[in-house]
Amino acid sequence: MTASPFEIEIPRGRVIEVQRDDTRVRWGGGLLRGMAVVWKHWKESFKLNRSYSQIHGTFTIEYPEEQPRIPEAYRNMPILLYDDETGHELCTSCFQCERICPPQVIHMTQAKDPATGKPVPAVAEFIIEYDACMSCGFCAEVCPFDAIKMDHEFELSTDDHTRLTVHKEQLLRPISYYAKIAPTMWAEVRESALKKLQGNVRRRPDVIGLAPQLTEKIAARRAELAAQAVQAAQAAAAAPAAPAAAPAEGRKLTPEEKAAKLAAIRAAKTAQAGESATPAEAAPAPPSPAPAGEAAPSADKAAKLAAIRAANAAKKAAAGEAPATLPVAPADGMAGDTPADAPPAAPPADKAARLAAIRAANAAKKQQSGDGS
Amino acid sequence: MYDMLTALINGALGWGWPEWALNLLSYILIVTIVLVVAPLQMLFFTYYERRVIARMQDRVGPNRVGPEGIWQPIADGVKMFTKEDIVPQAADRIVHFLAPCVVVAPTVLMFAVVPWGPGMVPVDLPTGLLFFFAISSISAVGLMMAGWASNNKFSLLGAMRAVAQMVSYEIPAVLSLIAIVIIVGSLSINEIIAYQAGLIISNRDLPGVPDLGLGWFVFTPVGFVAFVAFFIAALAEGERTPFDIPEADSEIVAGYMTEYSGMKFGLFYLAQYVLNFLLCAITAIIFFGGWQGPGVGWLYAQGITPANPNGNGLFNVLAGILGVFYFLLKTYIFFFVMVWLRGAFPRLRIDQLMDFGWKFLIPWTLANLFSAALWVAFTRWGPAEGMLITVGWSPVLRWLAAFVVTLAINLGVYLWLTRVYAASQAERRRAELEELSAAA
Ligand code: SF4
Ligand code: SF4
Repeated sequence: MTASPFEIEIPRGRVIEVQRDDTRVRWGGGLLRGMAVVWKHWKESFKLNRSYSQIHGTFTIEYPEEQPRIPEAYRNMPILLYDDETGHELCTSCFQCERICPPQVIHMTQAKDPATGKPVPAVAEFIIEYDACMSCGFCAEVCPFDAIKMDHEFELSTDDHTRLTVHKEQLLRPISYYAKIAPTMWAEVRESALKKLQGNVRRRPDVIGLAPQLTEKIAARRAELAAQAVQAAQAAAAAPAAPAAAPAEGRKLTPEEKAAKLAAIRAAKTAQAGESATPAEAAPAPPSPAPAGEAAPSADKAAKLAAIRAANAAKKAAAGEAPATLPVAPADGMAGDTPADAPPAAPPADKAARLAAIRAANAAKKQQSGDGS
Repeated sequence: MYDMLTALINGALGWGWPEWALNLLSYILIVTIVLVVAPLQMLFFTYYERRVIARMQDRVGPNRVGPEGIWQPIADGVKMFTKEDIVPQAADRIVHFLAPCVVVAPTVLMFAVVPWGPGMVPVDLPTGLLFFFAISSISAVGLMMAGWASNNKFSLLGAMRAVAQMVSYEIPAVLSLIAIVIIVGSLSINEIIAYQAGLIISNRDLPGVPDLGLGWFVFTPVGFVAFVAFFIAALAEGERTPFDIPEADSEIVAGYMTEYSGMKFGLFYLAQYVLNFLLCAITAIIFFGGWQGPGVGWLYAQGITPANPNGNGLFNVLAGILGVFYFLLKTYIFFFVMVWLRGAFPRLRIDQLMDFGWKFLIPWTLANLFSAALWVAFTRWGPAEGMLITVGWSPVLRWLAAFVVTLAINLGVYLWLTRVYAASQAERRRAELEELSAAA
């Protein structure tokens, strides 16, 4: 057989009519005909046959010595994919697969931004119980991000039952692996999958969403982030302090400013709530919105920075920590990369500032809930 | 064996042993050989069958244990020996224990009269054929014991079926053999084999035919019909697939073997395959000349025989090897045909089996009996017996007349019977349908 293994050609439109209950006398000829069929099978079976459109010949694959050629659409157990270059997982923790899985063997927790506590489109832990998975492939079919695919690996037998509860690290495979085992199927979805991944990566802070076993990728990403932060700090330091401009009250606030203000106000409130513990120290907190208002319209980061300071101060105050210190000083210490004398930040640092504001707000919130309880 | 030993010990070695010692020694040797050969044949047959049926089903078959899986039966045997032997609580323990022995013993006894080569028959009974079939029926008792003692409905059903099948198929088997016995005029298996010397035609029918050991009965119309009928009956007796109703695994688990495990089950298995071997062997012996084949007769004539005590012992060995080769070759080919049938045909229903046995095979073999009588009349009878037509005919003409007449009778009966049989089956089917539609 020169034809490639397991090709099937099915001639369409050929009908085989089986006549049953044929009572014509054939003088035993029917028996001989049956024997002739079996004889042909026996005779031909000494030839190897790799084409399923032939009915004669031995089809057996001597398995351990000979590996079967698996068709692309073969499905055994689900795996997760990650991008080869960036190491980003395709999964966004949308829970579609968990929901559809008939035996309910998929379990996951969504990743959360450690700073804000908000869910991000990435998965923190992903577990599939291979022992109960029935290889239906629904998960792969339903996944809108093409993150979960059916593997071809079938030699899974083990004497260790717990190994069949498979965690994210063991589930993750590079896209190149899947592209190898199912080239046409991957080619069909490749573009949309990668595009969606790009979109999701942008919403993933820090190293979240990176395949955990790719330690060097994670380290590289961390280094990159640190470098960005340092750059931002330098830029912030280099930028001249923006002159105090017209009072903020007079003009319309940008959304960022609003957020910053809100944060600051909240921080202040928290601080007030904490007043019972440290009334004297909380007092300086309320004025903190003022610097935000004074921020120059051109450099509204200043407002945010101020908000951070305020929030920090509020936090500290609420925690009842360093009661004698001025509210401004700890804020500086906390910000770290922000010099004490640079309330107005330069444009490049605006992200960091925003982040800080959010963090401050969070901290305040937490404090509040802590008090409430 | 006795002749060879006498020649060897008293002749070549000159020890001068008494006759009884020689007899004893020769029988001990014979029994040892038979008891070793029988299970070995069974082991080989299991492997052989599995490989052949696998090929027929486009598979490979067992090929893992040893080269091409040749040690597979040994592995199976070891497995069999190490399995737990379970006796059901409600079973009749003694009968349950005895049944496998009763089934196995006759199959080994049957080896006593099977000639392996020229002068290589353990016991040359003058009624060897009768002994063979009388003994083979004993295993039916063992099957019934197994089915009854197991106290299991499937076992009992299987045993009932087995006994019904064996009893009804022994009749066509024996009827077809009687046709041969009529022609040969002897029940001795050695005689039957000796009759089949010659070339296409036995040289007893037609003196002067060169002896190539090919005067097999299957080449005559009587022998052919007897062969086909006997082989079908042998399938039923050996519980081979189109007739494996007693152990129909899809209907009644394993029939009478259901409650057996471990080596007791192994004994049933052994008995079955040994019986299959023997049925193939007896088919080869009676219709295909047994060890007869080109060269064996000539070689044997040179060796030490009762007629020729001064022959060369080497020729005995050569004739024996060639004879055993021919014999086993034929036997294995018949077993191949058995497997082939198993691959080709589905299992019959019990009523189809009974219909076929009683309404087709028995009339056919009865007609064949008549043909056999005519054959004898044409080839051997003279005016003294009242056969006046053939007076003055040459032997060739007589043989030809016998051939044509028996062929015409057998073929005519066959064609007529198939018609009648098909019509009766159609009628039965119609009646069944009518009954069904009336019930609906
Ligand atoms: S293949 Fe089916 S059973 Fe297995 S995890 Fe996916 S949805 Fe669940
Ligand atoms: S694997 Fe796909 S469907 Fe499942 S949670 Fe991740 S993105 Fe959603």
